[in-house]
Amino acid sequence: MNQKEDFSELQKLLQLKKLETPGQAYFDRFVDAFHQYQRQEILREEPWYMKVVEVVMEPWIAGVPRLATVATAAACLVAGIAFFLSPIGSNMAPLADGKVAHAKGIIVAANSTEDSLQIQPELIETAAGGEGTQLRPLYVNGHGAVAYDSRLAF
Amino acid sequence: MSADVTKVLDLENGPTDEELVAQTVKGDLASYDELIRRFQSRLYGVIYHLTSNHEDTNDMLMEVFDKAYRSLPTFRGQSSFYTWIYRIAINRTFNFLEKRKRRQGAMSLNEIDEDGLPKFDLPDPVHRNNPVKSSMLNELQNKLNESMLSLSKEHRTVVTLYDIQGLAHAEIGKIMGTTEGTVRSRLHYAHKQLQKSLGIYLRR
Repeated sequence: MNQKEDFSELQKLLQLKKLETPGQAYFDRFVDAFHQYQRQEILREEPWYMKVVEVVMEPWIAGVPRLATVATAAACLVAGIAFFLSPIGSNMAPLADGKVAHAKGIIVAANSTEDSLQIQPELIETAAGGEGTQLRPLYVNGHGAVAYDSRLAF
Repeated sequence: MSADVTKVLDLENGPTDEELVAQTVKGDLASYDELIRRFQSRLYGVIYHLTSNHEDTNDMLMEVFDKAYRSLPTFRGQSSFYTWIYRIAINRTFNFLEKRKRRQGAMSLNEIDEDGLPKFDLPDPVHRNNPVKSSMLNELQNKLNESMLSLSKEHRTVVTLYDIQGLAHAEIGKIMGTTEGTVRSRLHYAHKQLQKSLGIYLRR
């Protein structure tokens, strides 16, 4: 039996891998599970600086810090100190319901309850600085979309 | 299934992937649900065959669709949506595998079997009423997974896309951002490696 025929036997064996699937019921429920996932994600979205800390600390947690990582961590620390020491301008916008939107922030006007988030476009418009704000839906859910203005992002 | 085949199916069954993308970007969220339904099973397969763990695959699949949704406004249509989302899935799974590799030392004891190998999630045996066959099938699938995991992630990916999902060399090249020649050579190497480790299960 030649090499090529041997591969075809192997390929037949690999077809067994197709059996390793969770079944149709899983896929039938997947879209709903995904909506649920996105709702949870948006409610527990970490502030940007926590994401930086997580990325920088990950190699230490894994026990293998590298020189490049150490250098990056040092650079982030310096940048962080510079950011917090810089003078703070008046970029806070009070909203109608008493919440405060930061002009550099991302999501500014969503009412969140345990089950859903409801968008309040007029509040976003206020925070974005007036009319002409283009809102893009940030995520899919069963109750509507949370929106944000990309110009407001860091 | 090749991209061309997907396109034909799209035409028969309704809007194409690209039309659904355009609708989603305009805010029609149901269009994205439809894209998820079209790709969930294939992407599940790719991620699962790279990770060999259903729980991780479920988490990764959610992340991939979430990431793709957030990135849709930057999708320029230079490649098909099919290629684009596959690329996202593979890149994110590669990142996950790197992290998992680094954390392997911290694996909990119940994730490791008595031989010191990670446990694999296997489907319910097809031959429930035949314990001998069922046990042989389980053993074979364990060995298969073990052999797959012994390949590098790039080699594992080409085997998954070519042998299990049936994609063409050229499509795999586009997805992995490499040439068709590289895909062929990786596939040849991977087949040789798998053949070596699975030799006793192959008819000669």
